[in-house]
Amino acid sequence: MEREKLLEFRHVSKSFPGVKALEDINVDLYPGEVHILVGENGAGKSTLMKVLSGAYTATSGELIFEGKRIEKNSPHISEALGISMIYQELNLVPELSIASNIFLGHELKKGCFVDTRAQEKRAAELLNEIGIRVDPRTLVKNLGVGTQQMVEIAKALSKKAKVIVFDEPTSSLTDSEIQELFGIIRLLRERGVGMFYISHRLEELFKIGDRVTVLRDGRQILTDTIDHMTMESVIENIAGRKIENLFPHVRKEAGEPLLEIKSLSGDKFQDVSMTVRAGEIVGVSGLVGAGRTETARAAFGIDPYTSGEVYVCGKKLAKHNPERANKLGMCLLPEDRKLEGLALSLSIRENTVISSLRALNPTGIINDAKERREVQKSIDELEIATSTMDKLAKFLSGGTQQKVVIAKWLMSQSKVFIFDEPTRGIDVGAKSSIYQLMDDLVGRGAAILMISSDLTEIMGMSDRIYVMSGGTVVGELDQRQATQSDILQLAFSNV
Amino acid sequence: MNQQSQWRSRLDRIPGAAYIFLIVFAAASILVPRFFSVGNISTMLLQACTLTLLSVAMSLTLMMGSIDLSMGGVVSMCGVIMACIMRAGASAWLALPVGLIIGAVFGMFNGVMVTRLKIPAFIATFGSMGIAQSIANTISQERTVSWEVSPKTSLIDFLGNHALSVEMGTDASQTLTISNLLIITAVVVAVVWVLFRRTTLGSNIYALGANEETARLSGVSVTQWRIIVFVISGVLAALGGIVVMVRSNSVQPTIGSNLEFQACVAAVLGGNVMEGGKGSVPGAVLGALTLYTIRSAMSLMGIDTSWVQVVIGGVLVIGMLLNNYAASREKAGSLAALNRARADRAVGKGGVAK
Repeated sequence: MEREKLLEFRHVSKSFPGVKALEDINVDLYPGEVHILVGENGAGKSTLMKVLSGAYTATSGELIFEGKRIEKNSPHISEALGISMIYQELNLVPELSIASNIFLGHELKKGCFVDTRAQEKRAAELLNEIGIRVDPRTLVKNLGVGTQQMVEIAKALSKKAKVIVFDEPTSSLTDSEIQELFGIIRLLRERGVGMFYISHRLEELFKIGDRVTVLRDGRQILTDTIDHMTMESVIENIAGRKIENLFPHVRKEAGEPLLEIKSLSGDKFQDVSMTVRAGEIVGVSGLVGAGRTETARAAFGIDPYTSGEVYVCGKKLAKHNPERANKLGMCLLPEDRKLEGLALSLSIRENTVISSLRALNPTGIINDAKERREVQKSIDELEIATSTMDKLAKFLSGGTQQKVVIAKWLMSQSKVFIFDEPTRGIDVGAKSSIYQLMDDLVGRGAAILMISSDLTEIMGMSDRIYVMSGGTVVGELDQRQATQSDILQLAFSNV
Repeated sequence: MNQQSQWRSRLDRIPGAAYIFLIVFAAASILVPRFFSVGNISTMLLQACTLTLLSVAMSLTLMMGSIDLSMGGVVSMCGVIMACIMRAGASAWLALPVGLIIGAVFGMFNGVMVTRLKIPAFIATFGSMGIAQSIANTISQERTVSWEVSPKTSLIDFLGNHALSVEMGTDASQTLTISNLLIITAVVVAVVWVLFRRTTLGSNIYALGANEETARLSGVSVTQWRIIVFVISGVLAALGGIVVMVRSNSVQPTIGSNLEFQACVAAVLGGNVMEGGKGSVPGAVLGALTLYTIRSAMSLMGIDTSWVQVVIGGVLVIGMLLNNYAASREKAGSLAALNRARADRAVGKGGVAK
């Protein structure tokens, strides 16, 4: 390529005490290019981007921006140069309007007063440029996640960004929102903005990427144009080993119905019926807000419902009583593991036994040796990557945390598992072992209901698929006959 | 539909504290015989001045995710120091600015502890409350400080005067009086409000409270703004000290004790939450007025003042419940908005996404 490089990392290394986070990285970016960074969690993607934003200082190596070396970087300096970051966790202030958020930190002023009118006008122009029609006076707390992301992009544009870094921008967007985001990224590409894009969703890189850099353990494994790569080669390079089949699930003989939801109605869902048999993985697809999570929470007894019945292993569940559901062998693995699934400040061991304390210690006195033995058994069985069972849950990666949650429910003899977005924010290596684990579970006669917004996952793991839209089940498909577009059509049928 | 939503957003902007205040005020007017009279209400407003100033300060610190527990101590300390300066024969024109400067310096001390030394605001200002109160006790030797009335202290008399006094009847309760203190308080609160709404102060405070990291990444000078807010809080507390000093024409060293608690209650009634990022200046003012309405009504009913604290504690709990309720409604509302937006989009695309 003859074009001038917009940005270049030259031999960048970064060490933290005891860890080499980045080692001799050489990555460059051209104007109008989407450069995708992939790698497992902890591979160094975010560290590299933090060196770019100035949050970290590289131990050695240099950063060249528009032909000039950035001598001493800091968040202020990189921002002034036109480098903007859009983080996975959106950084907007809920109580302020869209316009105030866009201009936060660089307000338009008239004397010493903020020129609200000019800000609103300019904000409207910026939003218009990226094709979003929303009143800039709207408070951000009233916006959906997708729109909030667009506001972040508008904010970057207001700072005349030349380089925009997207850190897992799609992890909480619905499919239509993702399409919208991609549209905007293409628009930015035409305008010559260079973009780094970090994602765990590999199918995305073929949709919008120009070049890909794979990082593993802080080293640059390869950088190449997207045409030279296939999904398999990317996965192989990320994992550093061959993953034969991301979805190992083999259809098994379906047995007795273990979970029956009959005509359940509540606030956000109406007349939902679902059945999951022993040995089955049943996917629940639909848009965010279609009532999937709400149905699951009600069925489990966390939230109340107005009518309908839930049976677990043939026994009727009481309303609003998750303890009883638990006792009957049902468990829910929530989407937000950090908030609902785990006690972060407790150890792996404490998290694992928390639902089986009575069974493990019938006398009420903690049997230390027995607990440790049982926990060790789970750790070995689930291949939980940890040096000790006394490690605190907050220090574990997303994939390992998910495994600890599963270990907890396995220990309490659960038979019916409801997974809500089981692999959100989990890297591909850990994903594959979670899928393996799910397959093992149904192999042992468990039943799994899997809520997922990831269509590849739904198609790869389910035997049957329920599609929900607008609070009702709009279709039930056999995986062998379903296509992704069937599911999408249904998902949009009742919005 | 647009007009309707505009109305709704306008209604949304009225702080919940306004409704609480109106309800409490109406109840007091109906149930307590002598409550609703110009005389009583003007007295009540005058009494509420100190707490109003402190509540606004407390609200600002809570909004940015901190707290300033030292304000009661600062009221005592500044009051005692100003009174001592005048007792020594100096002019009030010297004493009052010195008091305000000490308030500002103390606020800065709080701000530096919280930002530079990274001590949690709750602990830092709890500590400085003790320091300020001890200074007040030591300087005053735990005795009431008063000064000789002389031309040098005529400023104090002026501040205590009525700017306006209208007799609407023969009875004292029918006399409308507007004190200079009330006017000064109103002006100060208005200035703070304008600064908050029309300068970057408000956006920065909300940003700090919602998420400090967001603020930093947006280029907000986190340290600087936190210190500024603590300084404002210190100055407002010192002003509160001036108000109590003028009203009682002397200063007891413990005059400010417990005020931080009441200010906290008022701020919470005004929509503040301990996590920060919420609340408003008018809300805090209304919160303070609500407390004084209750206080005034109770004293007119002849209820012992020690019961007032019990009621205020109860009001705090009710305020918290109301905030929780508002938060849950907000959540439901934003989900509804999300679904509406989705529906619009899906329809716009002909119902099917490819």
